[in-house]
Amino acid sequence: MTTPAAKLSAAEWFAQARCGDTIAAHEQSWLQWIDDAGHQQAYENCELAWELSGELRRSPAIAALLAAAPTARAKWRVPVWQMGLAASLLAIGVFGWRFVVAPPITQYSTGIGEQRTVALADGSTVFLNTDSDVRVQLSRRVRRIELARGEALFSVSHDPSRPFEVHALQGVTTAVGTQFDVELTRGGAAISVLEGTVTVGGRAAVLAPVAVTAGNGVGYSQEGAVSELRAAEVNRIQGWRTQRMVFNDIALDTALAEYNRYSRKPIVLSNPAIGSRHINGVFHIGDEAAFLSALDQGLHLKATKGDAQTVLQPAPGYEQ
Amino acid sequence: MKPETTQMSASVAPSAYPLDIAGPDAPDAAEPIPAEASHRAYVTMLFNRHRVSLQRYLMRLVPPDDAAELVQESYYRLLRHGEMVKIDAMARSFLFQTATNLARDHYRRRASHRAALHVPIEDEEIIEDHLGPDEQLAGEQTRVLLERAIADLPQDTRTVFLLHRFRDLTYPQIAQIMSLSGRTVARKMAEAIERLSAAMSEAT
Repeated sequence: MTTPAAKLSAAEWFAQARCGDTIAAHEQSWLQWIDDAGHQQAYENCELAWELSGELRRSPAIAALLAAAPTARAKWRVPVWQMGLAASLLAIGVFGWRFVVAPPITQYSTGIGEQRTVALADGSTVFLNTDSDVRVQLSRRVRRIELARGEALFSVSHDPSRPFEVHALQGVTTAVGTQFDVELTRGGAAISVLEGTVTVGGRAAVLAPVAVTAGNGVGYSQEGAVSELRAAEVNRIQGWRTQRMVFNDIALDTALAEYNRYSRKPIVLSNPAIGSRHINGVFHIGDEAAFLSALDQGLHLKATKGDAQTVLQPAPGYEQ
Repeated sequence: MKPETTQMSASVAPSAYPLDIAGPDAPDAAEPIPAEASHRAYVTMLFNRHRVSLQRYLMRLVPPDDAAELVQESYYRLLRHGEMVKIDAMARSFLFQTATNLARDHYRRRASHRAALHVPIEDEEIIEDHLGPDEQLAGEQTRVLLERAIADLPQDTRTVFLLHRFRDLTYPQIAQIMSLSGRTVARKMAEAIERLSAAMSEAT
């Protein structure tokens, strides 16, 4: 049905589309090429092969092949059995080729309400915000950080030979020397750049990388869709670095979500409707009394402290 | 200054409304589509260009009746997604990836539904034709075929494929590790895909 030529060109187009830089230049010829039923069918086969091969990730046969593949940025977590398998294959001389043991991964984390500053061996600094978890792997070619939970501000020492990559969900933020913040949010991740420039791209190169300069930020969803550029959350980030929450005319429910990141005992609303009221002010993280007092005086919300949570309810006469 | 705390435990429900930025209507509910007209037009054009192809693709993953439904759902996902890449080939791969994930979810739902209902054996077989065990789209036969096809790739080609597919490395990164040019990496990737897709057409 599909000619060998169609199959070949389909595979070439597919391979090109996996590399974001070059495909953009060929948009017109791509549109012409794909406008053909036979070509489409050949391309579908490529897509199917690609998607289904992804399911072999955990197959022992593939793991063995992977273990023998050269690596600069070694696999994220190598199961012990896989290392053993690779070692034994090496020992019997089947794959005696450039097998490099992965540099160690170091994990740093904080509990709720806790913050932590970590100095890395390359001279960079990681400031961990509340309830966060990063894994650090420094190799000769790349400095790889995975943000598994929460938020961190990175102050990156300049080293062009070793890019500094922060992996969060499907996206990767890459810097050489700069200061930027990455936060896992509900359904995605948010990046703010304070100094220098970073690039934000998809882990599997599906999305074109975006350059983000100082003062700007960008977000991406869990599925990898990237937002427009927007202003960096400078106030909020400088705030948390100095144990303060800065609320600049934002909705109460957003403010409470931020407050609750730092508190084991969350503050909740008796009625979701009051969440749309706006709040202003600077509060010390952990100073619940001052925060509740401000809510009382500014928004006429009364707090009832329970064992598991504190409930806010409008004072009589201020229900609307 | 200490805030006044009034005790109102009688009027506060013990399971107070849990705080949630998005509000009580969770994101996956049928939320309105943020359709700026030009965005909608772009997505619709993109979608129409690839619709037939997508439908045929999905029919290889799920039973035909369900494929039509998933085509529709893929379109909505694309619309909801906001700023999509404006490069057709990349947008297409996003679309097909979304559709593949939907097919996987669909199968997962099916599997739990089936477990609950004890559907008779005939239905079981129909589903097995399309989908494999362990919440995977590729059936056992397809997996074996693909595994063999990967193992049979010439060494450098196989390495390029493995690094890109399973270690998520980009072409420039692979080029650096293997001391090849970026062009060669792309060519080897094309060769790998061609061979694997040939294996797929044997399988289906």
